[in-house]
Amino acid sequence: MTKYNIWFFGSLIVAAVVAMPIITVFSSFFTETSSYIFILKETFLIDYIFNSITVLFFVVLLTLILGIFSAYFVSFYDFPLSKFFSWALILSFAVPGYIYAFSIIAFFENYGTAFSLLTFFLGENNYNPIIPKIDGLIGAILSISFSLFPYVYVLTRASFYYQSNNYIEVGKNLGLSSRETFFRIILPSARPAIIAGLALVSMECLSDFGTVSFFSVNTLTTGIYNSWLSFDDLNTANQISFILLIFILLLFSIEIYSRKEARYHQPGRGFKPITKIKLTGKKSIIPIFICSLIFLLSFIFPVSQMIYWTIKFPKYIQDIDIIKINLNTLILVGIASAFIVIISLFINYGSRISKSKILDYLTNFSISGYAIPGVILAVAFITFFSNLSDFLSHFFNFKSIKGLFIGSIFGLILAYFIRFFSLSFNGIRSSYEKINNSIDESAYLLGYSKFNTFFKIHVPYLSTNVILIVLLISLEVIKELPMTMILRPFNFETFATQAYIYASQDLLEAAALPSLFLIFWATILILLSSRYILSKKN
Amino acid sequence: MSKNFFEIQNGYFTASETNKVNNVNFTIKKQGEIVSLLGPSGIGKTTILRTIAGLQKLSAGKIKLRDTILASDEINIEPENRNIALSFQDNSLFPNYKVIDNINFGEKRLNGNNSKIDVKEIIKLLRIEPILEKFPHQISAGEAQRVSLARSLMSKPDLLLLDEPFSNIDQSLKEEIQVSVKKLLKRINLTTIIVTHDSYEAFSMADKCGIILDQELKQFDVPYNVHHEPNSIDVANFLNKGIFIDVQVVDSECAVHRLRHEELGEIRGKLSNSFPSGSKVKLLLQPEDLIHDDQSKLKLEVVDRKFRGTNFIYTLKTKKGEHLPVFVHSHHIHQHEKSEQFGVKSPIYIDHLVCF
Repeated sequence: MTKYNIWFFGSLIVAAVVAMPIITVFSSFFTETSSYIFILKETFLIDYIFNSITVLFFVVLLTLILGIFSAYFVSFYDFPLSKFFSWALILSFAVPGYIYAFSIIAFFENYGTAFSLLTFFLGENNYNPIIPKIDGLIGAILSISFSLFPYVYVLTRASFYYQSNNYIEVGKNLGLSSRETFFRIILPSARPAIIAGLALVSMECLSDFGTVSFFSVNTLTTGIYNSWLSFDDLNTANQISFILLIFILLLFSIEIYSRKEARYHQPGRGFKPITKIKLTGKKSIIPIFICSLIFLLSFIFPVSQMIYWTIKFPKYIQDIDIIKINLNTLILVGIASAFIVIISLFINYGSRISKSKILDYLTNFSISGYAIPGVILAVAFITFFSNLSDFLSHFFNFKSIKGLFIGSIFGLILAYFIRFFSLSFNGIRSSYEKINNSIDESAYLLGYSKFNTFFKIHVPYLSTNVILIVLLISLEVIKELPMTMILRPFNFETFATQAYIYASQDLLEAAALPSLFLIFWATILILLSSRYILSKKN
Repeated sequence: MSKNFFEIQNGYFTASETNKVNNVNFTIKKQGEIVSLLGPSGIGKTTILRTIAGLQKLSAGKIKLRDTILASDEINIEPENRNIALSFQDNSLFPNYKVIDNINFGEKRLNGNNSKIDVKEIIKLLRIEPILEKFPHQISAGEAQRVSLARSLMSKPDLLLLDEPFSNIDQSLKEEIQVSVKKLLKRINLTTIIVTHDSYEAFSMADKCGIILDQELKQFDVPYNVHHEPNSIDVANFLNKGIFIDVQVVDSECAVHRLRHEELGEIRGKLSNSFPSGSKVKLLLQPEDLIHDDQSKLKLEVVDRKFRGTNFIYTLKTKKGEHLPVFVHSHHIHQHEKSEQFGVKSPIYIDHLVCF
């Protein structure tokens, strides 16, 4: 029987907060909308869906190729720079799709960076007609793919890493060639990890707002944003959200299922790490070339473009209050990560000691927040608190509470909480699962109370993982665009919002400095995270 | 008022529908006694220990320690307030603390008893010195088990519960550690309940031994009696020391009782249960009961021979088809091959005639 104690009510509140956007989206079908929804259904809705699916299809294809090739080379071969590539290829995580998009436009536009380079090397001429114009769908696909392929790379590499050498030796012992071993043993056992990576890519791709809106590709996310901003029709925005949510929740289920499958492929005792094949001379050219190309295109290209602009247009360094933006970002990162981690610890601990199935269902529901795209969440957030405020004013004569949640730091933190709670909760839970229950019981039997057990046994054990979670949440908050754009206080800018605002005003040169700072901080966070993960493995 | 040190009255222990033990009654009369609970895996032995420790609720009945009720229908003292230590079968060491710190965790217990126990002595006795500065993930399962035992001992409990405490320890070290631990427990007068599926361990460590089978405590007695005078066919079968053969009671009145088997002839000894003369019973025949004698006229066919180091176990077949096990010292020069005839000393004399 479930005890209705502090742990139960804590989990109930968290589940209710996370459920809020989903409930709002669903309930939008029972409310009135403007005529925009009918116009939309007759005109652009099919386009939105078609574009979303087209972008999704090609992004999945491209990230699959980039992710598997890069993971394969660094996992199975030891070639010059292979150690460098093993972590350097993750760095494109630091470059959000929309910043990659700025770089593509800047490079290929008329009289852009490509033009300047050609002029510098080949002398003055009209090179504009021969420089390909990458924009629209292709630009969006390339930008999103290069910023998201590390999902596939990281998960596939981890899966390859955990492939026991025993399997490969058994394969060889059964007379399989290296190629057959790869296709018949290694790749099938990495499949769940690859699918999990692709599902994450797909969710992020469908959630993307910054890149597609910058390239003016009308997808479901831009549709939601436009319904809210241009037509002031929150209910239509929520109804479009519903369509997108169905796609996303489907992918979310695939991701969860694949992760469970991937767990079966984790090694047990007797695990022998793979012996890498050493490549030197001519044999090392292909892996070096492919890894270098991916690294150059995914990270060096956007970073150097931003550096180039920052140097070329120094006046923006003075125009932008970079200290204030740093502080704003720091405040958001600090408060959000502390708040999310503390609540995650609380809920995890409650779930562990109360052993209640209802509590487990509630917490499992709470982790669905990560699946909700930022745009949907922000619009649903505004809808919910506007309605709640109106309801309280109408029936109880309350003052408006909109200001507390909409356009406030508190509201923004709450929205981050809904979105990133699962990241933190799952991270702590995976650590908690490694602490056998008999360890808690041993502590009780040694005279330690539950409180003391938590602080003396759990907290020291979880602390290193909590640091990693703080780093990852910080990374997400720094890169997050649509929620911050929609819910931030007036004139409160982060690197992401400042860069996007300049870019949408066609001031791409001005967007370079905040973009560069964003990449800088994100790179540091990624390097710290990967160092931490590697040291933990050691 | 009860004078027993520890007592379980009509205890019902439930972990799941299949893993439960019903209506358990046993007492530990004096402090310092060692009790072992023996039974097959998954029968509920660990459930009993966990319930005594307070980690699981007692379904019904009463558990008392020194006149204090630990668990009953109304009372359930929290595990941290029972002063009972449980050394788990699996690795329950605190992962982020070194071995020495894990052991010291036990010492920090506030409500421990006043027994004189020295951490250095325990470390030496359990052979933990070389691993003191290591973390739990860096040591073997057997070492972890010894550290867990050290930690439990250091907490100076009123009652020590050991769940398969030596199961992961190397055979070469196991016996030595068993002897040392028993000596220590006796010296510090620490009452202990050991759960094991190894009858040798149960018999050698304990003053009293309980056999748990079919969700019941079938027998609770000194190990000698459990071995030689099992109180049911189930217990005898579980201990797996011999086979049952059909015999007839010839004389149950005299000082030496006599039984008769169609082929083995007269069997003499002392009946553990009384039966009227003429009744047909099943007699437990253990490998040490028959004595090899090449000169004997009683011959049986060899159907199997196993080498067990210090002895051979021959399996002999009667005309009726019974397979009788017989120990023969392995230094015995005359080895018998399959299908050969094997002499058995006659008449047969067995100290304990266990019949049902």
